[in-house]
Amino acid sequence: MLKIRGVSKRYGGVAAISDLSFDLARGEVLGVIGPNGAGKTTLLNLITGYNAPNEGSILLEGRELRGLAPYEICRLGVARTFQVVRPFAEMTVNDNVMTGALFASDKWISAQDAALRAERALDMVGLLHKRQALGSDLTIGEKKKLELARALATKAKLLLLDEVMSGLTGSEIDAVMDAIERVADSGVTILMIEHLVGVILALADRVLVLNFGRELFQGTPEEVIAHPDVIESYLGQPLERLQT
Amino acid sequence: MASLIFQIVVDSLLLGGVYTLMAVGLSLAFGVTRIINFAHGDIVMYGAYAAFFAFVSLNIDPLLSLLFVAILGAIGGYLLFKLTLDRILDAPGINQVLLTFGLGLVLQNVAVILWTGDERSTTPSYAFDSWFLSDDIVVAKGRLIAFGLAVAFVVLLLAWLRWSELGRATRAVSQNRAAASLMGINVRAMYALSFGLSSSFGTATGAIMSFLLPITPFMGFPILVKAFAIIILGGLDSIVGTVIGAFLLATAETTIAYVVPQGIGWAEGVAFFLLVIVLIVRPTGILGTVGRDA
Amino acid sequence: MIAVRGWIIILGSLVVALVAPHFLPPGFSDWLTRLSTLILVAASWNMMANAGLISLGHSGFWGLGAYSAALLANAFHIPFWLSIVPAMLLGAFFGACLAYITGRLRGLFFAIATLATSEALRVVALMVPKLTGGAEGVFVFDQIRPDRITMTSFSLCLAVATVATSYFLSRSRYQYALRAMRDSESAVQMLGVNPARFRIGVTALSGAIASCAGVITAWFTGYIDPGSAFDLKITISAQIAPLFGGLYTVTGPVVGSIAILALSELTRLYFNYSGGVGLLVYGCILVFGVLMMPSGLVGLWKRRRKPVVTDAAVPARAK
Repeated sequence: MLKIRGVSKRYGGVAAISDLSFDLARGEVLGVIGPNGAGKTTLLNLITGYNAPNEGSILLEGRELRGLAPYEICRLGVARTFQVVRPFAEMTVNDNVMTGALFASDKWISAQDAALRAERALDMVGLLHKRQALGSDLTIGEKKKLELARALATKAKLLLLDEVMSGLTGSEIDAVMDAIERVADSGVTILMIEHLVGVILALADRVLVLNFGRELFQGTPEEVIAHPDVIESYLGQPLERLQT
Repeated sequence: MASLIFQIVVDSLLLGGVYTLMAVGLSLAFGVTRIINFAHGDIVMYGAYAAFFAFVSLNIDPLLSLLFVAILGAIGGYLLFKLTLDRILDAPGINQVLLTFGLGLVLQNVAVILWTGDERSTTPSYAFDSWFLSDDIVVAKGRLIAFGLAVAFVVLLLAWLRWSELGRATRAVSQNRAAASLMGINVRAMYALSFGLSSSFGTATGAIMSFLLPITPFMGFPILVKAFAIIILGGLDSIVGTVIGAFLLATAETTIAYVVPQGIGWAEGVAFFLLVIVLIVRPTGILGTVGRDA
Repeated sequence: MIAVRGWIIILGSLVVALVAPHFLPPGFSDWLTRLSTLILVAASWNMMANAGLISLGHSGFWGLGAYSAALLANAFHIPFWLSIVPAMLLGAFFGACLAYITGRLRGLFFAIATLATSEALRVVALMVPKLTGGAEGVFVFDQIRPDRITMTSFSLCLAVATVATSYFLSRSRYQYALRAMRDSESAVQMLGVNPARFRIGVTALSGAIASCAGVITAWFTGYIDPGSAFDLKITISAQIAPLFGGLYTVTGPVVGSIAILALSELTRLYFNYSGGVGLLVYGCILVFGVLMMPSGLVGLWKRRRKPVVTDAAVPARAK
């Protein structure tokens, strides 16, 4: 579905991503982990067109994404959430999600269909009861869910999640994990950046470990937590403590 | 021809000094607070009136009253910030634009009501003096004084920012609010301080303008637009950039005034044209780091 | 159902606009003409503000409209209603260019760019006397000027059409994208919205409407010069009326226009000696409006009727 080939991105002289290649199969959930500054968010920005890579190619179903604007990439079926949540503060939760439904494809969507789609997305993340609240009045956990619902309403084939769990309480994490699982089961391909190893272990089919913008290791979650290099450079401490 | 070029250089330098004065306060306040003060021109205007009344009724030279005017400006700016902007710092940017725009209108029209639209000016002897460097190259003494003061002010400001405790805190806030706040710097206090300092520069500039330009309640707007053009040319949050921007604008205006037919009329528009062109071609200005999505 | 009510209100207002001027005293119908121009600039300014674009250049559109109408009328003797067409096209074209060239500029910088462009236009109008008559201005030929009643009806109709446009825009699907753009042009891209398209569209629409106001004034007063056609006061009232009435709402600019026109008449009655008082009042409205009354008169009215304001049109800081 997604092929990343030899992608590099430099800011000034600093390489944020260097020579990164990986594949993402349809329906797969790929977890991306790595220490701060490893280039995880940059990777999402490159895929979604917010930044242009210096080298390499990014293919979605064989189509080059390089040089496309974010809204064009969205219309090809890629959606994302932002690490720093950006709900539209002055709009209701429902209108937020409606916006995602209305403009995300080249095809004309009637307002009724968009409303229906918004309702389904809100239901999926468990935010239906808050649909009339303003985006600015939500808790941080609800804002994360709203971002997820908004991304879902675009009917994306590929969903990119940037630390959706950060700032959430334990029970909220469980709720959002359930939501992501439902999304994955519905056939959406997911690439998720995540700090919580527990979440990765539970959701990811495969894990990509980044360090200094390079691939450190790729494998199943079980392989990753057993891998000495990963423990050394990223985790740096016994796993038991991280999992809690 | 050679003397014309030389005269253009001299005039550009002197005018650049005046423009630096106009813009440096605006740039300082923007650098720290990320708010453009649309009332800055009117603050300059009040400085000019203060110097005028000190000159007429107390017979104090503008260069002397400048000190008191600057202190009054600092207090006024600080209060203005505390009473208005401080309450809407977290609001969308549109509110800050509208608020300072409204403050400017209030300040301007209070002046219209108090002092009418009549033109005034202070008339110290140096205001009319000129030196002739040669037969056809003239240096206006008033502008030379303004130039000297501009240099002094900028050097003082840079030194303060670099070496004083408060100045360093100011720079820290300007570079990264969040980090500065984590370091224990009271960000809001720094905002108020920088606004007071900016107004103090504004009123001091007004005291100097009092012998260079006719003083009217409407003198603020052209000054504001020129200051905009300058700080956008120079890159908004950089004091050195502001100085460069001031001299660029001065050079462009002077050259056009001398070279183009009817140039003096067109020179009035140079700031606007430059502004638009720079915003389009190089949105970060010459030395700036601020992205234009503020 | 609401759409039907909307249509009835629009058609009713159009009938009133056509009939009422016949029965009104001249002073009052002049007042209505000025009110219409105010509604045009206020509502068009509000459309851009709704998408997060703060214009400080509405006097530029106004001036373009006024000059193009006056010059074309004098050159080709076209009737006043026809002169609207080229003026609107020019306003729309200029608006589109402005939005296109300012490209990535946001909020503050967009505002400064619009201010600079409109001032640049004023300098051009002043410095190209061959085309514009320079500082001496342009007189519109008296023979082709319409009578007062026609003028008033015509401007009222334009005002109704403008309010109807912003009403339909606010109920359309585009409103979702425009409101979201106000919040974050960057985030809205990831929902498939091309901000450039919307920003160009809304600025062109706003420019076309605002230039109509200039056309009306050129015909109404019969004379324009660079100072009055590109007057900063136009920009000021364009932003004060929506802010006073209710930012981002359909009725706000109308309520605000009536309110500030009434205010300026009152200040003229009581303080006729000084032009400063009117603008001072405007300034105070801006300052207090921003500080105390972010959702305007319309917001106050709504809050009085229902305690919880959940309308998305209310700015975030209202809470």
